[in-house]
Amino acid sequence: MNNKFGRLAKPYIIWLYIFAVAPAIVMSFLIFTDMEGLDLANLKMTLDNFSQLGEKSTLIAFKNSFLLSVITTAISIVLGYLVAYKLFRSNFKNKFLILVILILPMWSNILLRTEALANIMESNNIVTTFLNKIFNSNITFPQLRGTYFSVVFGLVVTYVPFMIMPIYNSLEKIDRSVEEAALDLGLTEMQKFWKVILPMSSKGIITGSIMVFLPSLSGFAIPKILGSGNIVMIGNVIEELFNNMNYNIGSLLAMIILVVILFSITIVNKVDKEGEMLL
Amino acid sequence: MKKVIIELKNVSLSYDDEPDVPIVDNISLQIYENEFITLLGPSGCGKTTTLRIIAGFQKPTQGQVIIDGKIFNDIPPYARPINTVFQRYALFPHLNVLGNVKIGLKNRPTSYLIDFFGGRDKIEELIKQDKINKGVAEDKIKKASYFEINKKVNQLIDEAAYNALKLVKLDGFENRKIEQMSGGQQQRVAIARAIINRPKILLLDEPLAALDLKLRQNMQYELKEMQRALGITFIFVTHDQEEAMTMSDRIVVMNNGIIQQLGTPEDIYNEPVNGFVANFIGETNIMRGKYLYENHISFLGAEFDCLGYKFEDGEDVDVVIRPEDWDVVPLENAKLIGEVTSCIFKGVHYEICAMFGEQEIMIHAYETPKVGDKIGLKVDPYEIHLMKVAREEPVSDQEGQDNLE
Ligand SMILES: Nc1ncnc2c1ncn2[C@@H]1O[C@H](COP(=O)(O)OP(=O)(O)O)[C@@H](O)[C@H]1O
Ligand SMILES: [Mg+2]
Repeated sequence: MNNKFGRLAKPYIIWLYIFAVAPAIVMSFLIFTDMEGLDLANLKMTLDNFSQLGEKSTLIAFKNSFLLSVITTAISIVLGYLVAYKLFRSNFKNKFLILVILILPMWSNILLRTEALANIMESNNIVTTFLNKIFNSNITFPQLRGTYFSVVFGLVVTYVPFMIMPIYNSLEKIDRSVEEAALDLGLTEMQKFWKVILPMSSKGIITGSIMVFLPSLSGFAIPKILGSGNIVMIGNVIEELFNNMNYNIGSLLAMIILVVILFSITIVNKVDKEGEMLL
Repeated sequence: MKKVIIELKNVSLSYDDEPDVPIVDNISLQIYENEFITLLGPSGCGKTTTLRIIAGFQKPTQGQVIIDGKIFNDIPPYARPINTVFQRYALFPHLNVLGNVKIGLKNRPTSYLIDFFGGRDKIEELIKQDKINKGVAEDKIKKASYFEINKKVNQLIDEAAYNALKLVKLDGFENRKIEQMSGGQQQRVAIARAIINRPKILLLDEPLAALDLKLRQNMQYELKEMQRALGITFIFVTHDQEEAMTMSDRIVVMNNGIIQQLGTPEDIYNEPVNGFVANFIGETNIMRGKYLYENHISFLGAEFDCLGYKFEDGEDVDVVIRPEDWDVVPLENAKLIGEVTSCIFKGVHYEICAMFGEQEIMIHAYETPKVGDKIGLKVDPYEIHLMKVAREEPVSDQEGQDNLE
């Protein structure tokens, strides 16, 4: 790297070491210890923490996390692809504006958004209150909050923009003449899509999938609010453990998630060397 | 009598955003079987658009595309006996070389492929032969199943792909990724990918523009050979007049979406119909002159004999003389005397510029006069070409100059 830029990057690198690398090292250490809170005086080295992985509650949380994240990712791929493809094919002059509008909700507070969604998913929510006040009726919505559906819905709504962007970018990179070549060589419109367009946008799908999968896997706010205690994901378990000052087991679970994240990022790096799909 | 394979009849095209500006303007053109025809013109003159109309990617706003006597306006690209080598190759980056070459045939319906490879009987015969070669007794061979026919067809596609790659000298590169191929190799893949489909007409859109000079010259030769060997019609597009000259049976010179001239390379070089063509096809001198009477012309203040042109007596005409057609002679024998303004060595000859009154003349010669010297010129009657004075002469003249590079 250029020397000048190297120096400019120093503050950030220091920041990174203090707030990301150092905690990770401390957590790796905590995994093998047992103590009450952060009471270093009574610290014991132990491997007992790993037995927690066999606990039913932990297993369910892991299962929920992976299952719901996979479902969320799958739904996001379909929805995201449809939106990105539609936009790619449209004749709008200012497609960038449409993209910004799609992404706009991401810039509002996630807790606020999720709480609002949670309210709508209650049987008695703001809409029913409003309607019942006006018509003096007794309408209720189905109680969705606390179901798998509500959690997946919340995850998809929150993270689908991360899918749209990279897919749209990969589609925009396909040259018109490549599509014409497919038709020229005798492919029908359908064949052109499956044999040329889809494979050529696979980079965007992979990048987008990881961008959706990771936050779904590790987040805790959405399952906490929309799952209302019925659906526990691994992020909720970690939060709970840290709140109860059980740092050892909390660290263990957090490190497992970290490993999954690092592994995924290596995949993105392999697929999308120039990072071109993200912007 | 040569057979017309494709005809454009009064074809025009304009885009929706500017309906009054035709990109292709009333083009009529007949192209013969096995012909190597070149669309030549400066960039932006509508060459690619014309190819896209022929290939079927673009519907003409007016006029007809007729192939083998049938109107093809509404027939989609895949049903036309045409394949294209695209300007920047347009290869499929997610497939390897073999995949790129095979994709066309692989996605055709089986019934199409059976006909393509000579019909069901022929394929069944091939399967039978395979079995005999494997040692199956002839009387025990059953009729080929659907599965066996499919397998044979796939095998034939593979063979066709290997043959196509061999033809473009890329055997051994089957499993390379596209990104690992050089520009010249990618170009060959694009050609193989097109010719495997056995089109009647191959469209090539500036296929050599991205190659370096040496490679380009080799490919010019190879393409020409390929066209002879395959016996198909090539419609070739270029903005390079030299390339057009060396390769084509006939050249269509285009500008602003209009055909300026259509003819053999010799015709177009020697008998340009207007200033644009004269300027675009090589360097030239254009001077205003007066047609005195039969076979007599005056320009630059002198009188000359000319041959084979008929104009009104006393009519203004444009006189075209190629730089290499001047004869540099001693001053006492000269018809024209001018003053040298520059003299540049060009390899074989010198390029001399000299002023004759107000007019600058370019001369290619072996003499090396110094700047400021007097130079004497003569010209043979058959080297003098005359054109009718065009009304918008200055416009097209200027554009021609711009594109000489
Ligand atoms: N889709 C389009 N919409 C509007 N104008 C276009 C479109 N495609 C090409 N043109 C215009 O048509 C003209 C001819 O283009 P083209 O056929 O590509 O020229 P060439 O191949 O001779 O360089 C250009 O001026 C170009 O700007
Ligand atoms: Mg072009």
